[in-house]
Parts: sequence; C-alpha cells; structure tokens
Amino acid sequence: MDSTAPSAPARAEPGAARGPVVFRHSVTVRLTHWLGAFAFVLLVLSGFAIFNAAPYLDASDLSNPAHRVLAFGSVDKPDGSHAGVTTVFGHNFTTTHVFGYTDDGQGGEAPRAFPGWLTWPAYQDLAGARVWHFFFGWVMVLTGTIYLVVGLLRRDLALLIVRPADFPKMWPMQAYYLRLRKDPPPHGKYNPLQKAGYTVVLFVLCPFIVLTGLALSPGVDAFAAPLTTLLGGRQFARTWHFLATLALVAFLFGHVFLVASTGFFNNMRSMTLGTYRLGKNEGTGK
Amino acid sequence: MKRSLFLGATAALLAGCDSTRNALNENAGVKRVLDVAENLNLAVIGTHGRAKLYNESDIDRDYPTNGDPTPVDATYRALVDGGFRNYELAVSGLVEHPQTFDLRQLRALASLSEITRHDCVEGWSVVGKWGGVPLAKFLALVRPKPEARYVVFYSFDHDDSGQQFYGSINLVQATHPQTQLALDLNGKPIDPDHGGPVRLRIPTQLAYKSTKWVQRIALVSDFRPIFGGKGGYWEDQGYEWYAGI
Repeated sequence: MDSTAPSAPARAEPGAARGPVVFRHSVTVRLTHWLGAFAFVLLVLSGFAIFNAAPYLDASDLSNPAHRVLAFGSVDKPDGSHAGVTTVFGHNFTTTHVFGYTDDGQGGEAPRAFPGWLTWPAYQDLAGARVWHFFFGWVMVLTGTIYLVVGLLRRDLALLIVRPADFPKMWPMQAYYLRLRKDPPPHGKYNPLQKAGYTVVLFVLCPFIVLTGLALSPGVDAFAAPLTTLLGGRQFARTWHFLATLALVAFLFGHVFLVASTGFFNNMRSMTLGTYRLGKNEGTGK
Repeated sequence: MKRSLFLGATAALLAGCDSTRNALNENAGVKRVLDVAENLNLAVIGTHGRAKLYNESDIDRDYPTNGDPTPVDATYRALVDGGFRNYELAVSGLVEHPQTFDLRQLRALASLSEITRHDCVEGWSVVGKWGGVPLAKFLALVRPKPEARYVVFYSFDHDDSGQQFYGSINLVQATHPQTQLALDLNGKPIDPDHGGPVRLRIPTQLAYKSTKWVQRIALVSDFRPIFGGKGGYWEDQGYEWYAGI
C-alpha cells in the first residue's frame, strides 16, 4: 500500500508520494463540490452587496448603535477628499480605497462598505443582489442536501465524520503539516484534521449560516420566533450570519492553500476525474 | 515593466469582471431564471404564524423615516392643511360593496394596537406601536368577489419621474390578523412623515410592502396590467413581490 519510490525526495511534495492510484470521489461528490463552490462564491459576493445597504452590525435584537460591533463609513475631509473608516468594537481604522470609501463598481469611488470588486453586482443594487443571493441560496441548500443524502446512502460520509479515535492523531498530523514530522500518522481516506474541518463546516457552519439567514427574515421569524430569540434577535442574527460567512471564507482560503500545497495536480485530479494517488500512510477507509 | 504590465492586466480583468457582473445583473433572461427563488420562498416560507409582540420599553420614539420624504403632491398637501378632514379612502375593483371611508369611519373600525418590529430591506429594525383597522375586518365590509386575488394600495406619493407609488398583497397576507390599515403610531395619529393619515402595516414582511400615504384601494384578479406589472413600485424596481425574507 504505502510504497514510496526510493528516488522520491522525502519532503518535496507530500501528497505526491508514489502510492497506488485509487478512485476517490464519486461523480455526485465532484459535481456537488464544484456547484457548491460556485454558489458559495456568489453567495458571499451578493451577501457583501446586501450588507452594503446597512453597513453595520449590532449585537442586539433591534438596531442599536450602543451594541455596534462593526461599522463602515466615509468621512469628508476639509481638502475635499474622502476617507473610508472601519469601526470594530468602537476602534476606528482608516481603510480608504478598500472599505468605507472605495471602488463603486463603475470605475469610480463612492461611500460604500465593501468595494465593487468584492460584490455581486459590482455597482450598488440591493434589489439585484437579493435576487442573486436567494437564487444561489437555494442552489446551495439543494446541492448540499443532495451531497449529504447521497453521501449517507453510499456511506461516503462515514469516512469523513470526525470520531474520538481521530483526536490523538490530530497533533501528529498538524506536526506533519508544520514539517516537524516526516510522515503523517496512518489514517483513512481523510486525515484527522480534514475530518475535523469538514465535520465542522458541513454539520456546524453550513446549517448555522442557513439558520441565521432565515432567522433575520420577518416571514420566518413569524413562525420560528424561538430561533431568532435564541440567536439574540434579528440584528444579532444578521451579525451571526456575517461571522459565519467570515468563518467559511477562512475555511475556503485554508482549503485552497492545502489543495495547492499537498499535491495540487493529484488533488485536482481527484475532484475532476475522480482518481487519486495515495500518499504515505494514507488509506481509503475510516 | 513586467510588473506594470501585470498590474494593468489585473486591473483590466477586474474592471472587465465588474462590467460582466453588472451586465448579468441587468439581463432579463438571467433575471427570469433567478426569479424562481422567489416562488420557492413564497411556497416554503409564505405567511404563517404571528410577528413577535414587543413591550412599550422597546419602542423607539425617534422612529426613522425612509424612502421618500412627505409627498409634495398638491392634493395631499391640501389634505394636510385641512387636518385630513377631507381625506376619503375609496375601495374599488372586484368588491361587492365599493365604498368610501373618511377618517372618522376608519377610526370607528380601529380595533388593533400592536407593538411590532419594522424590518427594513436594508437590514435595520425598529419597534413601534401601530394602531388601526385590521385589514381582514375592513375587507369583510367591502366583500371581495370570488375572483379577487390581490389587494392593491395606491399612494399619494410619486417619485421624481412622476410614477405613483403603489403596492399589492395577496388575500392570505391581507387577511393575516396582524395586517392593518394603520392610523396611529406610538399612540398618536401617524404624522405625514411616517405615512399618515393611513398607511399599510405588515409586520410579517419587509417594510417596503407597507405602502405609505394610502390614497385608494382596489381589489384585482391580476396585477400585471398595473404600471410596471410587478405588483408594486419597489417590485417594478427589481425587489421581490414576496418580501417575507
């Protein structure tokens, strides 16, 4: 199983160790992965566009500047120029040209929280952004549901969910990533840190971001008031929705970094063609 | 040289992306596909339950105004100057009893007073005490015909191009016990800045559905022939007709 070609440099490209080629991802997993990835990017960008309409977050039920955790604004300076100001827990940071006073999505600059290059659409259009957001919200929820149902039926998910036996292997895996250890600990299809990450994303962050989005909607609050109350109210739900976005974006960056740094072509092959060459101490089971 | 070329190419790519995203946002075919989500939202979320009731202490005495300032329309101005004594609310269209109501008659029908949250589409919320006539009670007097499906509210207000503000809701939303023709805000007659003398108040949908300065009401089977055809002024600007989310 875990044969490393004698000539291979020990640490050059960890995932490229010459193990056998296995079939790693079903066509359902590959399709839902890329559809979900596309929908996620659109949701984040259209979400930032929606956020721009009320560029602040409160940790309270009702809008209340006394509970403001984040705000973006612009200041007119005496010389006629403008400054963008980002306020985090009452601390002001000058963020001109990036946040607060920035790219208006039409070639100029204007007072707005997120820049045009980070919103969908690029110019400020709350109505349009909402339409995109809800469409891709449905795409994401349906894609995720298909992934989970098929994963349960095919028992793929069982290989991915973190279990107590993985905990002792997490530090050795982290040590391997940090290059403090030559080989990863023996593991199955997913290593213990992947399992922890994917479990948190799939079963904590994804449901949470859907629920917080629903909780800030008056039509949902009317029949699911305990949900909104549990989250601290409507504005608080909006704040949680935003924080969950930041957590998922952080996951995305980490994910892409690890894809690129642990055998980019092998990883990309597994998520496009489905086949994958196993690395050292890497298996196919739990 | 190489660096500036790289930066220039990146900037061009980003600008190109901007205009591409903006063009997609304005494409009618794309919009038709995206609008599927609104039907799903209406089918799945719809109009169920009751909006949360708040306490007196939650009321914001400095209730914000949004959208247009008080209408400058001459008819409306004359009504303001006359203390709304000449205000008349006409109900027409698909009703058994087309009628006109003055403010005294409406006040006699007022039986609802609730402290509810006003959720703006922009994302902010504020609480106020709204009192007025339950729309279900009002509709029972004019008796919608069986073919009536929507209640349309025409406003005194116009935008800068002269387009009249209006809005519509279906009969499920219209007969929801918290939907009201509001007459009072925080215990006082609604002032002109907040949509007085009569405005719609729907706590289970976003506030752009709550038409201000209601001039007249019509029951219709189809709102497509009216103005932009999307069922409301904001809907004609691209906002969803169903605003429960």
